[in-house]
Amino acid sequence: MIFVMIVAMGLIVFLNRYLFIEPRLPVRLTRGAREFLGFAVPGMLTAICGPIIFFADHQLNLSPANPYLLAGICAVALMFWTRNVLLTVLLSMALFYLFRWWL
Amino acid sequence: MPTALPHYAFARGAIAVIPLSLACAPWGLLAGSMAIDAHFSPLEAQGLSAIVFAGAAQLVAIGMVKSGASLVSILLTTLLLTSQHLLYGMHLRPTLSAFKPRWRMSLGFLMTDEFFALVSQYDRETFNRWYALGVGLTFYIAWNLFTLAGIVLGKSIPGLEHLGLEFSIAATFIALITPVVRDVPTVVCVAVALLCSVGLSFLQWESAVVVSGVLGMSAGFACKRLGVGQA
Repeated sequence: MIFVMIVAMGLIVFLNRYLFIEPRLPVRLTRGAREFLGFAVPGMLTAICGPIIFFADHQLNLSPANPYLLAGICAVALMFWTRNVLLTVLLSMALFYLFRWWL
Repeated sequence: MPTALPHYAFARGAIAVIPLSLACAPWGLLAGSMAIDAHFSPLEAQGLSAIVFAGAAQLVAIGMVKSGASLVSILLTTLLLTSQHLLYGMHLRPTLSAFKPRWRMSLGFLMTDEFFALVSQYDRETFNRWYALGVGLTFYIAWNLFTLAGIVLGKSIPGLEHLGLEFSIAATFIALITPVVRDVPTVVCVAVALLCSVGLSFLQWESAVVVSGVLGMSAGFACKRLGVGQA
């Protein structure tokens, strides 16, 4: 029973992933569609970040003393400054734990 | 990049995804230990990570099995929770659809949020399939190893989800978003996506991520079409 569920879930997820990269699917992306999809990186990645930052431990936290928020803002600044993804991630992680311990 | 040697490109992809793989350790461990806790056999618990390979959907499905939800409702939730992949597929269509079925299927199967974050910046000329395979396969192996560790450790990992390790995912995505935000439409896109994702999560929408992502993208697109922010 569990394995039926696992295989069915696997099929659904694979279909979601594969559908639009199948060349026989009769879809031609217009210029407008491509322009729209150009917003996929900022749009989707932001939508994933939002709940992580404001819903730590399943609780809405809009306080300015939220360590996720503070370290997130620092990550933006660090990225502007260093232009280096790995360095930004490591430094903002360190700041995150500092804020968490401190606040 | 297209001229790069396969094993070199593969290694570059594998290295690029290491921070994101480590960031997902808590969820991999949880996916394993929660499945055991919900009375999955070790093989079923590992199968979930090996076959489904979608963290959020796995954790929610385990929770639903535990609370006795029906198969149909679990599958519907899976569909909603993973629908952002449709967008990733559309975005990657120009590059991936040109490959042989073998490559298409493999890279399609390995497509995750993390894969998209690292691979989407390349167009048809600069895209390297070995780099993409390095990213995808390394992440897949790491996810399954963490799941295995979770299965072995079982319930003996107290407070793992309270360590705040998920911040590393937010930090990585912020680092990837920041350089892209160069004009007013993109600022609008990010602002709308952020507001909606917080609002819809507050309302406990299962599809909060994909709905707010699409709303943000639409807002950015509308601004661009209306010529907002152009001198």
